This record gives sequence, C-alpha cells and structure tokens, in this order.
Amino acid sequence: MIELKQIEKNYRRGAEEVRALRGVDLSIAAGELLAIIGPSGAGKTTLLHILGCLDQPTRGEVLFDGVNTSNMPESELVQLRREKIGFVFQQFYLIPGLSVFDNIALPLLFSKKQASRSKILALAEMVGLEHRLDHAPAQLSGGEMQRAAIARGLVNDPEILLADEPTGNLDSENSDKIYALLRSLSQNGLATVMITHNTELAARAQRTVQIRDGLVHP
Amino acid sequence: MSGYLKLAGKNLLRHRTRSVLTMLGIAASVGVLFSVLSFNKGFTEGLAVELERTGLHFMVVPSGCAHEVAALVLHGAVIPKFLDTKVMEHVTATAGIDLATPILVAQLPDPQRGKIDLIYGVDMSVLSAIKPGWEIAGKIPEQDNEILLGYEVAQHEKLQPGDQFSTGGRANLLVSGIVGLTGSQDDAFVYLPIKTAQKLLDHPAAATAIGVKVTDPTRMVEITDALTAAVPGIQIVTMGEVMNSISNLAASARALSLAIVLIAILISAVGVMNSILMAVFERTQEIGMMRAVGASRWDIFRIILEETTILSLSGGLVGILISILGSRMIEAFVRSVMPFVPSGNLISFDPVVAAGSVLFIFIIGLCAGIYPALKASKINPVEAIKG
Repeated sequence: MIELKQIEKNYRRGAEEVRALRGVDLSIAAGELLAIIGPSGAGKTTLLHILGCLDQPTRGEVLFDGVNTSNMPESELVQLRREKIGFVFQQFYLIPGLSVFDNIALPLLFSKKQASRSKILALAEMVGLEHRLDHAPAQLSGGEMQRAAIARGLVNDPEILLADEPTGNLDSENSDKIYALLRSLSQNGLATVMITHNTELAARAQRTVQIRDGLVHP
Repeated sequence: MSGYLKLAGKNLLRHRTRSVLTMLGIAASVGVLFSVLSFNKGFTEGLAVELERTGLHFMVVPSGCAHEVAALVLHGAVIPKFLDTKVMEHVTATAGIDLATPILVAQLPDPQRGKIDLIYGVDMSVLSAIKPGWEIAGKIPEQDNEILLGYEVAQHEKLQPGDQFSTGGRANLLVSGIVGLTGSQDDAFVYLPIKTAQKLLDHPAAATAIGVKVTDPTRMVEITDALTAAVPGIQIVTMGEVMNSISNLAASARALSLAIVLIAILISAVGVMNSILMAVFERTQEIGMMRAVGASRWDIFRIILEETTILSLSGGLVGILISILGSRMIEAFVRSVMPFVPSGNLISFDPVVAAGSVLFIFIIGLCAGIYPALKASKINPVEAIKG
C-alpha cells in the first residue's frame, strides 16, 4: 500500500547539514501493524512525516497505492492526507475549547463532510468514550485524550494510521489499552504505523523495524 | 453556523478576557465613529428646524462677523454693537416687508446680586412667531414691566410666575412666565419687552438686530439688495447663510473629531492584529495538527480571518449599542462644551449610519486579520508539530 524507495532526507540545523534519512526502503501493507523503534534523533519522526505526506523527501520515491507522491503539489498532498491518512500524536493536540465530539469531528470540517452524530458516536464507542462526548478535553484522563485523538485520526476512514509515540505520555495500563486499540484497528484492515520507545509494546507488534543512523534495520 | 465560524468563536472564547478587551477596543472606536456621524446628522437637522422655527427670512445686523450673527439669531449671543436708530425706519419703509422686529441682546451687570444677566429684548407680540417651539409656564409679557425667564435663570433664582425679579439694580420686574427647558442657551436669558430692555441699557432706540419676514420669499434678493443700497453700515444675513455659517463651524469640529476617531480605529485595528497574532503563536502546534489532519493553508487562513471577523463585528455592534444607550450623556457633554447646539436630539439613530459604521470596522478588522492569517497559513506543520 505504501512503499518507500531509497528515501533520503536532509535538512539544515543552523549551519549544520543533518542527514536524517539516508536511503530508507520500507513497505507497509494494508492491515499491518508496524512498530518503528530507535534512539532519539535517529529519524523516526522524519520518516513518519514523510509517510504521512507532511514532509517531502530530499531524494527517493514515496508510492501511495502505486502513485508517487514525492513531487505532488501541496493541494494534492492535502487531499491525500484528508482521505487516506490519519495522525495520532504523543501530545494528543486536542483543541481545549471544543468538546470531545467536536474534536473527533474536526477533520471532517476540512474534508467538507457532514459530521454525522451516528458516525462520531460509533467511533467514540469503539475507543470507549461514548459517555464523554460532551466533555472538554481538560476533563479527560491522558488515556482518554489519546483515545479521543485516535478517534479523530479515524474519522475520515483513512487507509493508514500514523501514531507518533502514542503511549509516550501514558502509564502502562493506559499504554496497554491504546496498544490494544491500535492492534484491533490493524486486525480490521487498517495499516497502522506506531513509533515507540516502549520496546515491550514494539515486541508485540506484527512487525518491528529499527531506525539507526538514518537507515531502517529489520 | 458554519464549522469554521464555530471553531473561530470557540478559539476566541479560550482567552475570554483578551478577546473581550480587544472587542471593547473596537466597540469604543465604532461607538465614537457612530456618535460623530450621527451627531453631524442630528446637528444639521436640528439646526434647520430651529432656523425654520424663527419664522424670519433674514436678519439686519451691524456689519461684522457672520458667525456672531448666526449665534445671535439662534441663541442671543451678545454683539457689542447697536444698529443705528434710523435703520428700523428704513426697514419698515421698504416694500415687501411683512414683519420687522428689533431684537436687543446685551449683558446687564447687577452689582447688588453680583451677577451679569443676559437680557433679550424683543417685541413680545412676535415672540411666539420667533420661538414657536417654546413651552411657557405662565404667559407672554403684556406690560412693559413684565418679563419672561429662561429655565436656568428661573431655577437658579428660584422664581415662579408672579414673583418679582430685579436686574441691573434698576427695576423690579414681574415674572409673567417661565420658558420650559430647551436644552439650549435660551435657558440662560431674561426676556423683556424691547422698550424695557432699551430703557435698562439707556439706549432708547437701540437694537442689536432686526429680524425680518418678507411677504414673498421669492423677492428676497431684490429686497435685501434694496436695503443694503439704502442703508450703509448694515449687514444682511439670510437664514440660509446663518445655517451655512454654523454648519461650517460644525464641519470643522467634525473633521477634527473624525481624524481622532480614525486614529482610535487604527489603534484598535493594531490591537486586533496583536491579539490574533498572539493567539496564532500560542496555537502553533495546534495549527500543525490541523494541517496534518487535512487542513489546507486556506482553511487555516479562513479560521484566523473569521476570528478577526467575529471580533470586529461584535465590537461594531456593541459599539453602536453603547453609543445609542449613552447618546443622552454624549449630548449633555457636547452641549456643555460647544458654544451653539440646536435643541432636540443631537444623536439620532440612523440604520444606514449604523450599518456603515459596522461595515467600516468589519473591513478594517479584515485588513487587520490578513497578516496573522497569512502568518498562520504559512506555519510549517512539521516544524509546528515538533514544537
């Protein structure tokens, strides 16, 4: 479904040229749960951003359903993110002024789709937040916030869910719950990529790759 | 409500104090703008009504400043000159004159009371024609020793119809009536029969001006030309000229006020820009998240611009509301500082002026919002999410 071919990513940090990725080859199939591990600064998040079409590689090809997105114009990348990609972040990034319902429905605003209550309710039930829909994010626990963020990532029915350290701010109990949720999603056919420092969780994933020095090691 | 508008509104509510203060800044600017524009309209209309009420077509006065004449006609300002006694004879002898009434306005010191009275001598038989809008408690003087008091004078001296009033230390005059509150300088005068006024001033045939009504207003130019040619040292000022003269003064004040208002609006626009820019910087990561979940640059631009729209429109509407509710206070203030203000409502609600003021601030708000919105739309989502 997604294939990375010889991806390189360079960027400048002040006067220094950083080679974040140095020729990454990686493919992700539908329904696969992939864990990416590696030390800080190894290029995990950069890889995730390229997978999510948020960032463009310096060299190499990103094939999304066979279509090369490396040179796509911004408007088409936006469309791709809306329709096929879901994002989950370590810091959740729920909007404080919106209810859980509105936070989950937020991507629908940008994809110009109607926020149907039944769909949001179904997603909330799936992540166990059906009783919290009218609450503000500040009233949720960390685990609940991340579950709301996952529901938000799923609201556009994406083909792939990209989770950047989804359990990074959670205790072990909540981490297990989030992992179980991600696993059930992949079992239902959703390609799921999870960056994590938690080796125990990574070991339970269907596949784990390690990034070290800008290269992927199986 | 559109999803963007709802999101923008919720964003503003996250910093209520900042949003309310920014909105109030706009409200103050719009309120003043609306008041100045409405005041101008009310002033012009009030002036026209007041001039029409005099029932006169023109005034004959000693040569001098047109502004003095304007003030005299409307509210009895004191002109330190008298017309020659023969002028009245010339005026009444001129063909086409329907009514000619001398008016004597002067300051009369009263050493006993330690005050200076403003006296207005006029032929009492034409008073109701000159001042048709007055409500008089009591009656118009019929005898030479009877007077009419302006509202403020009566209040200050605690006098009622039937009481005695002494002025200039020379006479005990009978208060026959009291003029109801006009809200203008009429309230500060003592109105006497012209002969009594002339006697008090020791100028038996003096007049500060002669108010003239013609039989046929279409012949006014012909009549005034004839008068000017026949009588040297006089000036003839028509009511239209009086109106222009006062309007010009008011227009100067208005231009200055508008300049100040525009500066205030500019300051509030900078306030809006600053407030929204702060909000954008604070929400950088959130904007990055929105870009990641499918928001385009235009979506972000639109959300931020709608925040400024809400601030501008709500500020505009609140400003109009405040200025309507506070219009009486503003009027009282204007009356206390301006030398001439027509009676009646100075600030009248005109939906066109209100809508124009709100539209103006809406456009200013949009302009102020463009820079923060552009800034937000250019946020790099990768950098933003990294924090």
